[in-house]
Amino acid sequence: MVNPGLFEGYETGSFYDEMFSSPGQPRAQYTKLFQKLASMAPSQFEERRKLADLSFLIQGITFTVYSDGRGTERLFPFDLIPRILPHSEWEHIDRGLSQRVMALNLFLQDIYGKQTILKDKKIPRWLVYSCPNFRREVIGVEVARGIYTHICGIDLVRDSKSGDFYVLEDNVRTPSGISYVLENRLVMTRTLPEAFQACEVLPVHHYPAELARILRSLSSRGEADAQIVLLTPGIHNSAYFEHSFLAQQMGIELVEGRDLIVDGGIVYMKTIRGLQRVDVIYRRVDDEYLDSLTFRPDSVLGVPGLMGAYRAGTVALANAVGNGIADDKAIYAYVPEFIRYYLGEEPILKTVETFLCANPKDLEYVLEHLPQLVVKAVGESGGYGMLMGPTADRAKLMDFADRLRANPRNYIAQPVVGLSRVPSYDPSTGSVAGRHVDLRPYCLYDGEKVTIVPGGLTRVALQPNSLIVNSSQGGGSKDTWVLRGED
Amino acid sequence: MNRYRLVHTTDFVYDGPVSESYNEVRLRPLHDERQSCLSFRLTTTPNSRGTAYRDAYGNWVHQFNVLTEHRRLRVEAESVVLEHEAFEAPTDSTMLADYDSHSHLLDEEHFDFMAPTGFVPHLVPLREIIEAAEKSCDGTVAGFTQTTSDLIHKRFRYVKGATHVHSSIEDSLSLGAGVCQDFAHLLLGVVRMRGIPGRYVSGYLVPGSTASPEAKQEDVIGGQASHAWAEVMIPNTGWMGFDPTLGNPVGLRHIRIACGRDYGDVAPVRGVYKGHAGQSLSVDVRVRPAIDDSGREQLSKITVGPVPPPSVLERAQQPAQQQQQQQQ
Repeated sequence: MVNPGLFEGYETGSFYDEMFSSPGQPRAQYTKLFQKLASMAPSQFEERRKLADLSFLIQGITFTVYSDGRGTERLFPFDLIPRILPHSEWEHIDRGLSQRVMALNLFLQDIYGKQTILKDKKIPRWLVYSCPNFRREVIGVEVARGIYTHICGIDLVRDSKSGDFYVLEDNVRTPSGISYVLENRLVMTRTLPEAFQACEVLPVHHYPAELARILRSLSSRGEADAQIVLLTPGIHNSAYFEHSFLAQQMGIELVEGRDLIVDGGIVYMKTIRGLQRVDVIYRRVDDEYLDSLTFRPDSVLGVPGLMGAYRAGTVALANAVGNGIADDKAIYAYVPEFIRYYLGEEPILKTVETFLCANPKDLEYVLEHLPQLVVKAVGESGGYGMLMGPTADRAKLMDFADRLRANPRNYIAQPVVGLSRVPSYDPSTGSVAGRHVDLRPYCLYDGEKVTIVPGGLTRVALQPNSLIVNSSQGGGSKDTWVLRGED
Repeated sequence: MNRYRLVHTTDFVYDGPVSESYNEVRLRPLHDERQSCLSFRLTTTPNSRGTAYRDAYGNWVHQFNVLTEHRRLRVEAESVVLEHEAFEAPTDSTMLADYDSHSHLLDEEHFDFMAPTGFVPHLVPLREIIEAAEKSCDGTVAGFTQTTSDLIHKRFRYVKGATHVHSSIEDSLSLGAGVCQDFAHLLLGVVRMRGIPGRYVSGYLVPGSTASPEAKQEDVIGGQASHAWAEVMIPNTGWMGFDPTLGNPVGLRHIRIACGRDYGDVAPVRGVYKGHAGQSLSVDVRVRPAIDDSGREQLSKITVGPVPPPSVLERAQQPAQQQQQQQQ
């Protein structure tokens, strides 16, 4: 028995603990890390932690919380104790995610094309057509190489009861966070090199190269001459750090809408050597703001006329326009059906039972059981527009009940999934305690196969007992290790 | 059959210099079994470059941009249109009650033309019109629609300027007045709320004097002929036109440009530009019967199918054959 050191008195509670199968007993994949960490004096660990924080600060790895009114940028809290997944478990996740991404891409192709799934009545037309993110503007548009979901950041959680992974959200519009995966890994290898070396962790550093390869393949003028740009909303966006980071890693230009101009259905970038044609835009701007001629006339973030060029096929956008329909949380309930319909396979990953408030019967059930359910607005992400029934006060419950009645199509409800926990260091007490986590792997689709860098972003709710892991709601992150080969 | 030449001119005048102007127009007449668009030509001053496509409702959309500084922009759409047959009054005898038992099928097929929209919300005052029309009609879907159209024509006053281009039917209902856009939206509101699909149609109404075969070439109409009405899905018949503004059947004098859920889907001209100047807009539509070089009507000579020559803008992007194939 190893001296528990840092983990002295650690309680797994009634939750699935990613590190310990029972108090003091680390799971197989954590054995080596446990030995390394347990042998560290608390002061030594604290020192390493400060070093890691300093490293993030110096590199300017930040993000923005809009609601706290404390100015624009802050450090993304990082917890030094990694989340480790055994190889076999990752293989299962990898297969499940690939299957899901393929099905989502086929669904988007179909829904903006022939709509066979509607004709075959596998999903009601009204549910699709009443989605605010269904874009009639791109019906019939042929996208480059048939790819809609170039990048998906699919959120998974491990149910604390069964220990199984569930898909929570698909995030097929403009998922963010991959820069933290890459930076977390870098900082980890520097801060805890001995633990990292002992564990044989699969690498993640090939993500930018793989993304760049896919973007280049979308060019209508061939890959050699492809001019690729990353379109950012600007420095005030919460993910601006990531935009600049990825542009730099891929060696492409970072542009804002005003740096681009459309003439006669072709997109150009304004440079000091004159206009240069642009072939592919990795856009981190929402559909509605992309083109003030087609979408919101008041948008100053986009490029007027861009949709004309997109439609004509002279420029490719990643991700495609209109993907929000697949992100709709009511449509989410049908993804298992998409997998069966398009691929003829049974879903590998589980999804959470979902009540569509648009169905009168579901609405009635939801209103009766509001305190036990999570209510989500169908078009939102990042933890906005949510009600956590079990922790909400009476006023908040009443407020949501009114909202559900007024606009039922806008809401779904799900039972609360108890998230698994990972030991996390609490600097205020200098001790380690269990904190809830989710997992967001980043899936890249090149039109033939799905590539997923092993692991992804483990987001952690740093407040005790909190289930909200979103960075925009004050969550932090951990490095995620997928071990090589035999477990 | 009636054949018309149309010239739709839109003039923007800006108080100061503007640049990087991007525009999208829906001005090309529909081309289908009831109406042929024989030719279409779009020209802009200053000159511009553009692309064309068909939107989700099958309408032709032309986009163009003017990058350099300018103070005026003129968009001129010239088309020649052949109206094939007048609508025959719908004779279908499907009763409303029978229709209701199949309504879930319609919702599946025509969701966009049954759901409430920003311009056409489902409102309580429409119920009263539904009840009145149900009482006085013959109980068929076609009869109900015609009666509703007549009721709206009788009850609402046509008052130019009573509403504005962004008005929903809430405004016209409270005023008891409106323009053709509001009349069409009102009819759509009633039929949709009754569970019958309806779509908005924008186009032109050729003045009566011009439409008669005796009209001379110099009887060119300088008036504002832009018009709007509605088409309703009548069982066993298809989309039928109803014109609650005019109170008359939709016939050979109605030229269809575009259709959609409401005005928002068919706005003839919309655009954005750079510059702090305000703009004023004037629209002029001229319609006249199309005649041959010697001044004679040649309507009777038309026997072959329509061959729409590509417009200035389309020539670059959309060969005529491609246009035909995309109609399916």
